[in-house]
Amino acid sequence: MSLDISFIGILIGSIMASSVPLILAASGELITERSGVLNLGVEGMMIIGAISGFALMVITDNLFIAIVGSMFSGVIISLIFGFLTQSLLTNHVATGLALTIFGIGLSAMLGKNFVGIPGKEFPILFSSLRESIPFFGPILFGHSIVLYFAFALPFLTNYFLKKTKLGLVVRAVGDSPVSASNQGINVITVRYCCILYGGAMCGLAGAYLSLIYTPQWIENMTAGRGWIALALVVFATWSPIKVLIGALIFGGITILQLHMQAIGFRIPVQFLSALPYLMTIIVLVVISRDSRKIKLNTPTSLGRIFYKEK
Amino acid sequence: MATDLRISNISKIYPGCIANDNVSLQFKSGKIYALLGENGAGKSTLVKILSGVISPDNGEVFLNEKNLKLNSPLDAKKNKIGMVFQHFNLFETLSVFENLSIDATEDNKSLRVRINEIFKKYNFSIDLDVPVLNLSAGQKQKVEIIRCLLRSPKVLIMDEPTSVLTEQETEELFISLKKFCDEGILIIYITHKLKEVLSLCDEVAVMRKGKVVSVSQTQNEKVETLANKMVGQKLAKIKKKINISKNKDEIFKVKHLNFYSDDPFETNLVNLNFSVKKGECLGIAGISGNGQNELFQILSGEIITPDTSIIFRNKEIAKLNPKQRREYLMAFSPEDRISQAAVPELKIYENVALNNFKSSNFFEKGLVNERKIKEHSKKILSDFSVNTDNVELKSQFLSGGNLQKLILGRELITAPELLICYNPTWGLDVGAINYIHETLIKINDQEKSTILISTDTEELLKLSDRIAVIYKGKLSKIMPSEEVTPEKLGLLMGGGSID
Repeated sequence: MSLDISFIGILIGSIMASSVPLILAASGELITERSGVLNLGVEGMMIIGAISGFALMVITDNLFIAIVGSMFSGVIISLIFGFLTQSLLTNHVATGLALTIFGIGLSAMLGKNFVGIPGKEFPILFSSLRESIPFFGPILFGHSIVLYFAFALPFLTNYFLKKTKLGLVVRAVGDSPVSASNQGINVITVRYCCILYGGAMCGLAGAYLSLIYTPQWIENMTAGRGWIALALVVFATWSPIKVLIGALIFGGITILQLHMQAIGFRIPVQFLSALPYLMTIIVLVVISRDSRKIKLNTPTSLGRIFYKEK
Repeated sequence: MATDLRISNISKIYPGCIANDNVSLQFKSGKIYALLGENGAGKSTLVKILSGVISPDNGEVFLNEKNLKLNSPLDAKKNKIGMVFQHFNLFETLSVFENLSIDATEDNKSLRVRINEIFKKYNFSIDLDVPVLNLSAGQKQKVEIIRCLLRSPKVLIMDEPTSVLTEQETEELFISLKKFCDEGILIIYITHKLKEVLSLCDEVAVMRKGKVVSVSQTQNEKVETLANKMVGQKLAKIKKKINISKNKDEIFKVKHLNFYSDDPFETNLVNLNFSVKKGECLGIAGISGNGQNELFQILSGEIITPDTSIIFRNKEIAKLNPKQRREYLMAFSPEDRISQAAVPELKIYENVALNNFKSSNFFEKGLVNERKIKEHSKKILSDFSVNTDNVELKSQFLSGGNLQKLILGRELITAPELLICYNPTWGLDVGAINYIHETLIKINDQEKSTILISTDTEELLKLSDRIAVIYKGKLSKIMPSEEVTPEKLGLLMGGGSID
């Protein structure tokens, strides 16, 4: 293996690509959790997004419809979660788990006829620049539009939460729904919106897998990425920028350890496979150890059921 | 412009309880009105209706003869009714400014200007950019008040505002409230503290069991008359027979109690020495935050300090944990009933079992003997007149007074030789306070000792045989309580000296 500079560029580019679904899903879930709702259905929403995106692509032959459709299906399935937890006041944890199980089952059923169908090539941007600039070319250029969006998203999320009025309302609702309600904020509506947004982002994350990253439908193709995204949100202590860092570390070590396995390092394979999880947790714990900041970022009412006094 | 608020025939019925029964009241600006009543009298329900949090089953609210439809807090806001809740309605993790800006219609810059104007006008000063969780209770309340003032309210409702304030903060609050009143804001002040009514308010409406039982000018009222109206029966006056006899045994003796902490929110304790005799009540006065918390925790064994000697019944117990100290027949009643003394989510009998002492047979071979615990709990409920006999009830549904009775009952049923309590009547109404005071006096009559750490000087003078004052972690000279006057105590509590 030659460790020349352009190879490293390509490696970094592939690491970025592999962390996109994590960034998307985690950013969406972050907004949901910041409003005080714990949706454990990320994995389920992602897999529904993946199959509906792929199916729409096959049926309509239009990638734009497929992408938008995947987000829409994420919205629909999160609407079920929203209705159950916000209107019928069911337990967030149980409902979210049910959503994941439901999503995996439903996607397998819907996807039966789509197994083995080859995907369509997804257009990439600035492909000429990718080849012409060494090292930076493969890092910065030649990616799909979804990747650029994903890398902008944590910063947009951060700006939204910290600088905008709506972001303030979301944080307020997550801090104390009772106070927010007494201040005249419609807590249920805010939480519905955050849940649906989270659903859309998870749908998009799923579609990225089935349309762009590995363009095909495989049963259970999200392979636990939804759970990783959920864990990222918590270990990043609800900070969007740290979510991005965590996703990159996870993606990076996943790819690196694959290379190490291929080269045949004398380290047990099991340890290498476990490395991404271990390292991501260690790094995020280390960078988020300021207990004061954790307290300020943690949505105090997370997972608690809110109902309005009558 | 004068404001006239009229409540007409308001009723609100909850399953099993009539919270408001045909309540009619009238308020006019330029005066401060008190709404007085025991816990559960229906005051909070009424103000929740006025602030649009809940809607009444019946009745109407008129502001300047306009019929208000208060279906949500937004409606109250639009009609310029401001409300400061007893349990603050703030967002703890957001900054002060974010808390104030959340429902503002103007941009941040002009909002800051307006907030600073209010600061100047009323002599407030709070850092706008720190998170609310870093503020003291008094500061939090100011944030709530400022939030109301920003909307230039016609009516300002304060729900039990002093229950979390120090005396200094209470004084500041009263000065502000009088200013608001002079500026034409109609103030409705909800409380169960009689003295506050007399010193602050012009008119007082007393509520009992959901009904208004009297409306009168405060100048025609006295503490006793108001108390009787509030409770609905003549309250017995309690005064302890002070008993200091020099030749009684010292049952509890503390020497060289020092405590040092790096936490800026904790107070260091400097060389405390005191002792308690058999059958005696030692009162420890002080404004909250002067080391009482730390002292209580050291006496109960939650904090173990090196080099401190605590002798109890001729044994050294300074290194023992709370459970072991209980086995030596000490008992404790902490200040925070909900989080320290009891687990609110647990049922009554489960809370009783938490405090298992050696001689009990609540647990056999690691299993819970539910029948025994329940029998025992029933006895506590009836012996200490807790107003329920359902031991399966979750403790969080008990009112403050009943929960305190349960806690005291749980501690006392083991017949301890020494009871250490910290603000045992904090936030309780007159009836419950009376009961608890009677209980504490009874303990002393039975030749058992008590240490009463309290911020309530009246309570201390009523119950203690000897009193000391704690100020900035130091203990004053211990004085026989007949030599102590409220003025003397006030001076010592503020850091002065009397010699």
